[in-house]
Order: sequence, then C-alpha cells, then structure tokens
Amino acid sequence: MIANRSIRALPYLLTLCTGTVLLISQDPYWIQLVLGASLLAILALSWDILSRTGQVSLGQAAFFGIGAYASALCGDLGWIVGWLMAAAVCGVTALLLGLLTLRLRQVYFTIATIALSLSFKVLILVFGTFTGGASGIAPPMIGDGNPNVQMCAVLVLVLLSILASDLFLSDRYRPAFFMIRTKPSLAAVSGIPIVRTKVLAFVVSGMLAGLAGAAYAGLYGYIVPDDVFALSWSIMPLAATILGGMDSTIGPFFGAIALKVLEGVARNYVGGVGYQIVYGVVMILCIAVLPKGLAGLLAAVREASSPRHRATGAGVTERVL
Amino acid sequence: MDISGLIQTSMLAVAVAGLYAAVASGLTLEFGVTRIVNFAHGEFVMLGAFITFFLYSDYGFPFVACVAVAGTAMALLSYVVFVTFLARVLKQDEHNQFLATLGLSILIVNLAAVLWTPDARSMHPENLLPALQLGGATLPGNNLLVILISAAMYSALALFMRYTRYGIQMRMASSDIDLATLCGVNVDRVFTLSFVIGGFTAGVAGSLVALILYVHPLVGLDLVIRAFAIVALGGLGSIAGAVIGALVLSISEGFVSTFVPEGGSWGFGVAFVLIVLVLIIRPTGFFGRSIQA
Amino acid sequence: MEGLRVNEVTKSFGGLKAVDQVSLTFERDHITGLVGPNGSGKSTLVNLLSGEYRPTAGQIRLGDRNIAGMRPDRVVRLGLARTYQIPKFPSELTIREIIDVPLRYVSRQQFALQGPKDVPSIADFCGLTRSLDTRCGQLSVTDLRRLEIARSMACFPTVLLLDEVMAGLSHEDATEIAALVRRLKGWGITIVIIEHLMRIITDLCDHVVVLNSGKLLAEGHPVEVLTRDSVREAYLGRSFKL
Repeated sequence: MIANRSIRALPYLLTLCTGTVLLISQDPYWIQLVLGASLLAILALSWDILSRTGQVSLGQAAFFGIGAYASALCGDLGWIVGWLMAAAVCGVTALLLGLLTLRLRQVYFTIATIALSLSFKVLILVFGTFTGGASGIAPPMIGDGNPNVQMCAVLVLVLLSILASDLFLSDRYRPAFFMIRTKPSLAAVSGIPIVRTKVLAFVVSGMLAGLAGAAYAGLYGYIVPDDVFALSWSIMPLAATILGGMDSTIGPFFGAIALKVLEGVARNYVGGVGYQIVYGVVMILCIAVLPKGLAGLLAAVREASSPRHRATGAGVTERVL
Repeated sequence: MDISGLIQTSMLAVAVAGLYAAVASGLTLEFGVTRIVNFAHGEFVMLGAFITFFLYSDYGFPFVACVAVAGTAMALLSYVVFVTFLARVLKQDEHNQFLATLGLSILIVNLAAVLWTPDARSMHPENLLPALQLGGATLPGNNLLVILISAAMYSALALFMRYTRYGIQMRMASSDIDLATLCGVNVDRVFTLSFVIGGFTAGVAGSLVALILYVHPLVGLDLVIRAFAIVALGGLGSIAGAVIGALVLSISEGFVSTFVPEGGSWGFGVAFVLIVLVLIIRPTGFFGRSIQA
Repeated sequence: MEGLRVNEVTKSFGGLKAVDQVSLTFERDHITGLVGPNGSGKSTLVNLLSGEYRPTAGQIRLGDRNIAGMRPDRVVRLGLARTYQIPKFPSELTIREIIDVPLRYVSRQQFALQGPKDVPSIADFCGLTRSLDTRCGQLSVTDLRRLEIARSMACFPTVLLLDEVMAGLSHEDATEIAALVRRLKGWGITIVIIEHLMRIITDLCDHVVVLNSGKLLAEGHPVEVLTRDSVREAYLGRSFKL
C-alpha cells in the first residue's frame, strides 16, 4: 500500500511546495494563477464530497456567493471573523436546505440547489440598502491586501479542503457514502442513517464553498451579485472533478489544475463567455469515454503495466486511489 | 378583480399550461421508459425555439412548417445524441447518467450562447388565428393556437401509446423492463424511440415557445425546471399527470403574477414552492411514481 | 418462545391491499418459511418488518417494542436484519469494507452470544473463500449472495429475514447456503426465509406460513401445510407432489 500513500500525499505536498516557491519568488502572475486554481480546487473538492453520496449539487455558486457576502457584511470585524461567519451561515443554510430536500429524488435536490443561488441573489438585491444591491459591496481584504498573507490564507484553505476530502474517504465514511449512492435501502438496513449522513456531507460541502467565496471576496476587495452568484461557479467544480476523476481527493485537485489550463486555452480561441463550452465538452467526453477521469486513466495504466497484474491476470485488488 | 379579468388570466394560463405540458410529456416519457432523468430535455426545446425563430423571421417559412421542421430536427438530433452518447451511459449508474445529461445541457446552452449571443429575441409573429372572445375577456389568437397544437400533440401521443404496437411496448418497458424483455420487446429500439418521440415533442414545444415567449439560450433551463415541478405534481411517468400538473402550475403562476406584488419576477419560484408543497402533502404525486428517493 | 410478532398488519397502496390484516408469530430458534405466489404480499411483509414501508395499520412487536414504521437503520439497530434478493453493492468496495459497515454502524457486537464476531470469521463462516480485499465488481453471483448473508450476520441480529437467498443458484450452491442457514439454528435467532423452492422449505423449516393475495392462507408444519388442498389450489398446483 506504499504507492497508495504517496499518491495520497501528493496534494498536500504540492500545495506546500507551491506556497513555499511563491513566497520566495513573489511572482504576481503565478500567484494569480495559483489563487485561481486554488479556489477551483476547494470548490471541486467540496462538490465531490457530496457527490459521493449520490447527490449532484449545483449549489456551489450559492454558497460561494453567500460566503462572499457573509464576510463582506462583517467588514468592520476583519476578515477572519468574516470567514467564520461565512462558514457558519453556509453551514446553517446547508443544514436547513438539506433536511428539506435530501430525501427527494436526486434531480429535485439539484433543482433546489439552483433555486438557492437565484433566491439568494434576489435577497441581496431586495435588501440593497444593507448589501449594496446590484452595485456591490466592499469586503475586508485579507491581511489588508498583503499578497503573502492572502496566498497563505487561501492555501491553508486548500489544505483544509484536502483534509476534509480525505476524512470522508476514510474507512468510516467512504463505504457508507458509496452504499448510499448505489442502493440507499441496502445502506439503511446496514445501519447507516441516510439523511443524516447526506446532510453532514452537504454541510461540510457548503461550508468549504462558502469559505472559498469569502476568500474570493477578500482577494479582490469588491464583489457584485452577478459575479459571485454566477452559475459558472457551480459548473466549473463539476467539470473539474469529472475531468480529474470523482470519488477521490487527487481527482478534484488535479482536475481543477487541468481545467484551469484547458480554460486558458479555450479563452484564447473563443472570446466572451463562450469559452464555458469547454466545461460541457469536458463533462461529456469524460463520462462517455473516461468515467473515472484522468485519475482513473492513470490507475488503469499503472495496473496494466504492474508485474503483479501480468503474472496473475487478475483485476485490481488494491485500492489505488 | 372582476370576472372578465379572472377569465383572461385563466385563459392565458391554459395556453401556457399547454406549452408546459408539451415540455413535460416528453420528459416524463423518456424517464418512464428508460429511467434516465434527461436534464438536457429543455435544451432541445430551446433549439426548437431557435430553429423556428430563424425559419420564420429570416426565411419567411409559414409557422406550421416551422413546427414540423423543428419537431423533426429535434427528433433527429435526439436520435443521434441517444445512439452516440446516452446509450453508452445507460450501462453506468444513475449518478453518472444524471451527470451525463447535465453535461449535455451545459454544452448545448453554452453552444447556443456562443452561436446566437445570450440576448433574448422575439419573433413578433402576426396573429395566426383570430382572437377568442369569452365573457369580456380576450385570448390572443396565437395563444389559442398554442392550446390547439399542444392538445393535438398530446392526443396524438396518447393514441400512439394506447393503440400502436410500439406504444404498447413502451408502456410495458415503462412498467417492468425485465418482463418486457421476456415478452420479446426490443428494449434498445424502444429506448431509442422514446427519445426520438421526446425530441419531437421538445421541438414542437420549442416552436410554441417562439410563438408566445422570448427566445434565448436559457429558456430551456427555465422550462425544464418547471417541467420537473409538473412531473412532481402529476407523478413520474404519467403523461395524463403531466397535463394536470401543467394546469396547476400555470394557473398558480398566473395568479401569483397578477395578485402578488413583484410576482412576475418570481421566475420558477412558484414551481419550486409547489414542489415543496407536493413533498409535504402528497409525495407520491397524483398519478405516477413518487419524487421521493 | 416469541421472537417477532405481527399483529393485524395491513399495508395499502392506494386502493390495493398488498398485506391484509396479517397476524403471525415467528418463534425464536426456529426457521419459519414464508411462501406464496407472486404478488401474495411476501416481499411487502418483509419490507414492513425491515422498516422500508410503514404499515397502514397494525403493530410489529420485536420484544416489547412496536417497531412498525420505524426507520430501517433504527430497526436493524434493535436487532432485525434482512437480506436483499438482488444486493447491489458499490463495485469498488471490497468484501471487507461491506462486512465492516454493519460492524461500525449497527454495532451490535456485544449482543453476539455465538458464532463469528469479526470480518474474517464472518466471511469464512459464509463460505467466502476469496481474499477479503476482492472488490464486489469481481464477485460471482453466488459470492454476492454469500456476502449479503455475511453483511446481515454482521448486524448480529436476533431476527434474520432471508429474502430468496437461494433463487437462481445451482443445486450445489443452494445446498451449501441451506447448510449455512441450518448452522444458525440454536443461536437464539428468529429466522424467516422466503423461498420458492419447496425442497428447501421442507428441509429447513420448522414452520411454514402461506400468504395469498395479502392474506394469511395457512400455517403450520411444512409437510402438512404444503399438502393442504387450499394451498395446492392457490399456489402449488394440483399436480404438485412433495
């Protein structure tokens, strides 16, 4: 299982190394890139955590926006309090919405998450006097604008997300999550409390997405509803995770990086918002051809070339991811 | 509000219900037979709307011809999509199937946004039928046409399902797929057919959208969410239920936008509230299968 | 001694009474067979017992508690476990991981008076010879059945419902599984098996219950019940011979 453990350590190591390198080099172009990829990685991991229970959430945009605004509305208390508020508000929202909709057929939960983004956007506009309405609001900048503090804060958040994802892949949670997804009735008669488990995943997922939103708000110093509640914040993590490979930590993590690269390429060819086609294309190609994403492809290649496989001709008996 | 206002609102609601029912019946047919929740169904409606818009506005096709072309084109596209992509996904689990149709939906919406810009367009059609006068209220001719076309399509679908060989096979597959296979039903063909028919109804529904609503890339998403609300009300897999659910939804929306301040901008909020109510009051819907997991 | 008592239980779906005022007692340390034609209400009854359905009327008494309408994860924690005829396991999970789930989530190890208590011994008891790290996606149908029984045993139940565990198996495999079930007798468990194979019923069961159209048609000693005219009429066919 040693190879297993080193693969699982990769995201942590990569994050720490990147942070160290950037702290030394101080290159603003790369810092921007890494921050963008980091936010996507956090969102992708948060999406995958819930997806393992069989629920497809399109609510990352909602929590992203809620987190951004929660931290913005606490402007006077500083960015750290802002982040805590973001996590708290998102956690409670996920709890309430989850208790209501996680017992429904999957598609209705997904619709509810879409409705969540739109509803909160309307709320922000309706309470414009407090929230700045359509013209936006200025949240507190992380570390008063110090790019080193900003980058470290975001990378700490990335590490937190990796940890959360790994926690839910542990022996206690992973089998339970998968059983809920594959056959909930079987999971229930094995003692798993279905709604409670799904709600737990949803709450953690929502909190991480909310923290990502708070981080985003604190990086740029100004947010508008049309930006932070944009549906693309829900679609990107979906595409990233499917590209990288679902049901793992390295999948969403490296998928986020890969998607950022593809996005950059697509942007060069298609102006405006059209580059978002790449998300749909990625999703379709992967599901049709590579259901386990790039990670699955790598695992298959490893299996095919491993001496054990050639000797026995047997299938994989070891958990590679 | 007076009686004629009430009648006006109701008549408009019936027209919109016809449109909604057209969208929902294809969705519920596809689900009933293949058990795939086709999130991309709305995008076929949207494409049908765009086809109708361009044929009518830029090429001067008569509206009825546009309906036929849109329906046929979407049936064909559905066929291609199903055979090349969705059929493959049938072998995977429900989770992946849903993600597949979601991905398809995202792709088509963005493609439309790139090709035709996200702006809303209106066909500005002339009234193809005389307006209907009833008790002081007026139903515009085009709304009347929507009711007639959707009623015709619904009847055709109902007759097909009831009396033709393929219709019966589809109902068998809908009810018990293993039993259907044992009875010699060619499941692949029936699955494909359900998507082809679903695509056709989506195309026709798209024409109706172009006739009385605005045409823009996100119109499909708007409608498909309402379609799901309708399916929750009427029960999954039930086409009759789709009609009743559509009426309930559109009448509710009509009354909300007339009587509730800012009601018009609720978007699909009414649909969402109805879903929640169905969950609380009658989770099994009124006809078909429950929306509870 | 009473293991599980069903009191006037009815389950209606719309206008249809799938289970109609059924009253039964399942005895401890006995293997009771539950038989009847398709649509007779056997599966519905099992789903009522395991908590998947809530009865329209009636009580289900496990010990001194009425478990009717309780959530399935609660029912299993009170000691009633069941198997599914077609178990759908996530294909990437291993034998070990599946059997481990009830050990963690039902956590009734302290109630296990007899028999295997950990993953390897449970797997072994159920005849699973493959490595515990084999994924479900690679198991044969028979092994999946064995795994399903192992999973239910890991719930350390006092009442065990086996839903057609032998359906579609070869003669050898079915006999092996029957032997497995027989070994559970004497552990203080109430065992209920649903089967269509009359040979198994007569071999294994101390008591048989016949359902028809949701109602209790007959119950008693297997040989006696299965030769009754009313039962042959409704279910077995006149030319049926034991």
